[in-house]
Amino acid sequence: MIILLLLPAIVLIILIFCVPLIRYLWLSLHASSVVTGLEALPNYGANWFRLINDDRFWQDALQTSRFATLSVSLEIVLAFAIALLLDQRFRARGSIRVISLLPWALPTTVMALGWRWIFNSPYGPIDQLLILFNSNIESSNFLSNPDIAWITTVVADVWKTTPFVALILLAGLQTIPNDLYEAFRLEGGTKRQAIFRITIPLLKPYFLISIIFRLAQAFGVFDLIQVMTGGGPAGSTESLAMYAYINAMRFLDFGYSSTIMIASFILLVAAGTISFLLINFFRKVIY
Amino acid sequence: MTELNRRNTTILLLILWSITPLIWQLYTSFCSPEALISPFENIAKRWTLDNYRQVFQADPPFWRYLVNSSLVGIYTTFITLLISIPAAYSLVKLPRRIANVSKLVLTSVALFPYVLLFLALLEFARSLNLGNNLLALSIPYSGLSLPLAILLISSAIKDLPADLEEAAKIDGLNLWQRFRWILVPLIAPACASTAIIVFLFSWNEYPIALTWISKDELLTLPVAIARLAGSSVYSVPYGAYAAATVIGSIPLIIIMIIFQKQIVSGLTQGAVKG
Amino acid sequence: MKYKLINQILIIISIISISIFSAKSLSTKTRNINILMPAPFADSTKVLVKEFNELNRGNIHINVTRGPRETESVSDLGISSLLLGKSTFDVILMDVTWLPKYAAAGWLTPIDYWFSKEDKSELVEGAATGNDYEGNLYRWPLVADIGLLYWRTDLMNNPPTTPDELIRISKELQENGKIKYGYVWQGRQYEGLSCVFLEVLNGFGGKWIEGTEIGLNTPQSKEASEWLLQLIKEGISPKAVTNFSEPEALQSFKDGDAAFMRNWPYAWTELNSSSSRVQGKVGVTTMVAKDGYQPTSTLGSWGFSITSDSTHPDEDAKAIKFLTSPSSQKYLFKSYGYTPTSNEIFNNKELNKSFPILKSLRAALSVTKARPKTPLYAQISDVLQRELSSILTEQKGIEESLSDAEDNTQKILLSAGKI
Repeated sequence: MIILLLLPAIVLIILIFCVPLIRYLWLSLHASSVVTGLEALPNYGANWFRLINDDRFWQDALQTSRFATLSVSLEIVLAFAIALLLDQRFRARGSIRVISLLPWALPTTVMALGWRWIFNSPYGPIDQLLILFNSNIESSNFLSNPDIAWITTVVADVWKTTPFVALILLAGLQTIPNDLYEAFRLEGGTKRQAIFRITIPLLKPYFLISIIFRLAQAFGVFDLIQVMTGGGPAGSTESLAMYAYINAMRFLDFGYSSTIMIASFILLVAAGTISFLLINFFRKVIY
Repeated sequence: MTELNRRNTTILLLILWSITPLIWQLYTSFCSPEALISPFENIAKRWTLDNYRQVFQADPPFWRYLVNSSLVGIYTTFITLLISIPAAYSLVKLPRRIANVSKLVLTSVALFPYVLLFLALLEFARSLNLGNNLLALSIPYSGLSLPLAILLISSAIKDLPADLEEAAKIDGLNLWQRFRWILVPLIAPACASTAIIVFLFSWNEYPIALTWISKDELLTLPVAIARLAGSSVYSVPYGAYAAATVIGSIPLIIIMIIFQKQIVSGLTQGAVKG
Repeated sequence: MKYKLINQILIIISIISISIFSAKSLSTKTRNINILMPAPFADSTKVLVKEFNELNRGNIHINVTRGPRETESVSDLGISSLLLGKSTFDVILMDVTWLPKYAAAGWLTPIDYWFSKEDKSELVEGAATGNDYEGNLYRWPLVADIGLLYWRTDLMNNPPTTPDELIRISKELQENGKIKYGYVWQGRQYEGLSCVFLEVLNGFGGKWIEGTEIGLNTPQSKEASEWLLQLIKEGISPKAVTNFSEPEALQSFKDGDAAFMRNWPYAWTELNSSSSRVQGKVGVTTMVAKDGYQPTSTLGSWGFSITSDSTHPDEDAKAIKFLTSPSSQKYLFKSYGYTPTSNEIFNNKELNKSFPILKSLRAALSVTKARPKTPLYAQISDVLQRELSSILTEQKGIEESLSDAEDNTQKILLSAGKI
């Protein structure tokens, strides 16, 4: 009887999450593209062979990891600072919390468009400000310079998701009893020391869950990149999800697109496992 | 005193960081195209409502997308709650070992970058003829929201005193009655937080809406925004974009202000218990 | 209590919305034709569509879906509707490069039945190509699009004809402080960059793909890439040109910032509108080419195709015929600067008199170059765009990029068995 209540949820979750993965696995072993007239014909691992030799896939994998690593680290640091701030008591804390949460609540596509305008060259505000202060300056070309463009996407991502991470960390802060700080202060510790000796160690599970959650999300970044840069310039901002999307929807190569998705998933799990092991390792070394 | 000042400056910085991009959009949305290309020069005709006029006179009018997004959001929230409350209840009643395993599975599923599912979901839509249907769109959305919803609600149920249900059982209430009159009212706050988070998710979802909806009048807001075209067709239509983003943001800002508490408690619950 | 109320409201909302949608689908006595067009075309054909709907009131009704502005996104939309099955669209206005892919996927209905040999012979050179795939006609052109070089008549007497000349004139003007930039074009990583490159490559005597031969890793191709890079490095083109698509280039030229621009014919009307700072000071010519080589214009025509999901192709064909008729072409040319497709318009003496650009268009049409015709075009062009973008933004050396471009193109063609 009790199990029956669980059944609809199990069915839906299997349908939405598991069936697609099995389907991808099957498709990745078939040629299914515009050339085969959209029929699926077995091609005995040719997709996987192509993937291993595909520079673009590996470049995108690198780019996606780079994007995820940088934006998650920035988010964690910023969010920690914000959480510490919001944990204090001051007037209008509620409204400030709402304001700081706004970026998270808005649709990604909406603000991606906004950021594209902000980084526009030469009519965007940042460029105009640069020109205003120094009229000799060449325009910044944020979005057309492959070395910088991906950083602008990081900025937009950090802007959007930091509030969320801050909120999780804030929840963690509120579980730490005040007596601990009080005792530490009586023993002669400073506030700064308290952060490193009490706050950070006790917050570890919250850091961990935010990092894991955000890494997984950042690894699947799609909306933001598609609207802000479309993957360019020179493919420098293209993420794995975008490459899979382009292969399916633009090139009509479903076999290869599925292969990319399975491979991304494997990479993500591998990266997750490695980082988990690393964290564990360092924990053992340090303590 | 200095510490207070420093805190105030940080608060100010935080506010600026959070809303400057939004303010800039707001400002852009009222600018004429000429003002946009030279924002710091003196221009006679700087302010205009044209951008908004354009967005509302488009075919279909922009509010339509807001309605669509709201409909999908409502359907999804409803379906998700309908499935996740019983599921969460049974999860709590299951033997501990199974429950822990299921929780682990649910957590890892909730972490899954769902964008990778779009192709298979598109095939679903095609083979079951679910494309271009807002109600159908809420099926994958519900599936995607389920893991988190079940986790949130089950942690709320677990917090309830155990003897409460026993007492109700002794009073002769059957499962449905206990559910309806004891459980649901008590976990209502948790359900409300879950509902709002699910609503926000489906309101903002992009890749699946992009592949499941091709009819103009059924587009949801994020897709419509990404697809919006503008003013003098051949110049960069950022004024109109900005106006659309402003209109698209207003409902969410209102939701944020009204349901601030629920959102915060929902998210923090998820973190604390997950 | 509260929750009961919410439930009831939800039920009412769903009933209302369901009934609205079903009512809509029941009340269709007239044949509805849904046409997907990129936003600019949807706007410019508004009057024509209205006229058609009034003429055929009660029988046929055209609904235009105003797609996105960017070509690529329109294609995404068309593909996603076709992939979903039971396509929303009966007719799609298609770019010349999409046709082989859509036809190979089996999404289009051959239209030979409705368009005769005589109809075809009326098409002007340039508009007649790119409409068929493996022997069947799948598309009827609405507008012939061609790459043009716009120049400022107030800054020089004659436009340049060779790449070196273009650089020389630009430098002179820039040094004399008469103009900020010499030449603006489309350098962003997208289809426009392939078009730009095709023209320059041909101008230097090279070929992109001819038959089974790929000409990307050749001296000509290297020369062409070097020239484009030189434009940026020497400040003849703004650095931001590597993020320019048509609108940005037009914006810059319209503001009087540049002496030359590469763009499509539509820009003409925009440049001569009252909001333009270069109104009446613009001339049009074909792209520059090295001495001894023919100047080339990329062919970029748009045309209508009928999807195989459409249940009433007869009516679709009727609508297409109306929208592409000579009188429609005349209207689109006069009000929006769309290049006509039929000889009749080009031979019209009156039009030629009042629109001298017609002559330049015809000249450009006679030197058009089509992009490779294969269902794999999107991949091939994507490879080229990526590598060119790497060159222009100096991420990779020219030689490395070009050899990668050639290798990857070959891989794509090989894996599909097309070589």
